[in-house]
Amino acid sequence: MSPGPASGSRLLEGRVVLVTGGASGLGLGMATAMAAHGAAVVLACRRPEIGEPAAAVLREAGHDVRCVRCDVTSADDIGASVEATVTAHGRLDCMVHNAIAPTGGPTRIQDVSQDHWDAMVATTIRATFDGARAAHPHLRDSGGSMILMTSAAGMEGSTHLPVYAMVKAAQRTLAKGLAAEWGADSIRVNCIAPVADTAAMQRAYMENPDLRERLLERTPLGRIGNPLDDVGPVAVFLASDMARFITGQTLCVDGGGFLGL
Amino acid sequence: MADGTRTLLVGDGPLADGLHDGLLDRGHLVAQVVPVRTDDGTDVGTGIGTGIGLIGRPELVVHVPTVPARAVALIDQSTQQWVEACEAPMAEAFAVVRACRAYLSDRARLVWVVPTVAMGGAAGFVGFAAAAEGIRALAKSTARQWGADGLTTAVLAVAPELVLPAESGAGALVPTLAGPALGRSGDAFGDIAPLLDLLADPSARFMTGTTLVADGGVWMAP
Repeated sequence: MSPGPASGSRLLEGRVVLVTGGASGLGLGMATAMAAHGAAVVLACRRPEIGEPAAAVLREAGHDVRCVRCDVTSADDIGASVEATVTAHGRLDCMVHNAIAPTGGPTRIQDVSQDHWDAMVATTIRATFDGARAAHPHLRDSGGSMILMTSAAGMEGSTHLPVYAMVKAAQRTLAKGLAAEWGADSIRVNCIAPVADTAAMQRAYMENPDLRERLLERTPLGRIGNPLDDVGPVAVFLASDMARFITGQTLCVDGGGFLGL
Repeated sequence: MADGTRTLLVGDGPLADGLHDGLLDRGHLVAQVVPVRTDDGTDVGTGIGTGIGLIGRPELVVHVPTVPARAVALIDQSTQQWVEACEAPMAEAFAVVRACRAYLSDRARLVWVVPTVAMGGAAGFVGFAAAAEGIRALAKSTARQWGADGLTTAVLAVAPELVLPAESGAGALVPTLAGPALGRSGDAFGDIAPLLDLLADPSARFMTGTTLVADGGVWMAP
């Protein structure tokens, strides 16, 4: 784990953050970075047997982190996670919706199963809808923000993952629409489009063997990102007052891999 | 000019009807399929099968996604309203692609007609704008997957006024410091149908996966 920022430069001191899919990978990287900047963090995760130990490690490092069980395909679970966060900490300043079902391997459009379609939609756009409705009153009270995860695949399409590309594209415009609706409440909504080495990415490499090589070939910085050290600081920035005039935007955190924006 | 082009048009409402008439006027052989909402989602397969039975293997497929009836703020929506506004149009677009695939003629073109709010989002139509952007991504992915088979795709992004309900204030959904450069938002018959004709022409076949913006000059971002 990277050392936290020096005392006095913590950008999220006193803030409360809820991260879905926070037990591992990108979610845990962002949660850790945000906790290191002083935020009280709640990891909302489907499998507490993974999330609880992750939260315990962060607590041992001196951070205020807890875990709640949350299957983001359940509106009730999402609502309960938000309420548990507010009950525990009295406020909610940022909701990061990061959880997503496994993307699976390369799939032809004509071979996409209904189960795959349903899982992709339920864990992305439907969960954003449910999360937005649950979080809105609390984000309005705090003048907070929401962060959604998108992907270059949503901007340039994907040969291998057509449904993933669709839902990630939808997430991005969903953020813009919410930014427009919630601006009057001083709530900001932004997206991060990351490329980072995670367990999910490792599975994607196994299912799509030349993926890593192709990603590296087009990445000017010549490496795949790290969830904590590369993506985490961007989540911190977007949740902080440093970004208080930024809304409806997508930040690509991919070493320059996608230059189409 | 693609005289006699076999065109399958999937969609209902004033925009789809205007495109139907405009394409007929330009010499297309058109079968219009109206999606049917069922408890299990949207059925387009039956209608597409019937339409193809009437005109033969289509050279041009045009999908005008079903739009929500009115503007509703996201936090005021029921889950059912959300599904109808966002998830159903995406599923409908995906179903159109899959239902047509086996019947497409060589070098066929698939085109989606969506409002420019796909790119910029829209208060009151958060879900539908998101769906439209998802459909733009589908056009790109389809182009990438099926390009080797000679199939091409495109998106026509038109003024929100042409797509969304008239009473929704759609004209104000794209924030701009000025109105359309051409002074009007266009009409399906005279302004948009000719672009579909252009996209169906073999001379346009090296263009795929892209979005053409035809809104009279409001949205000019890259």
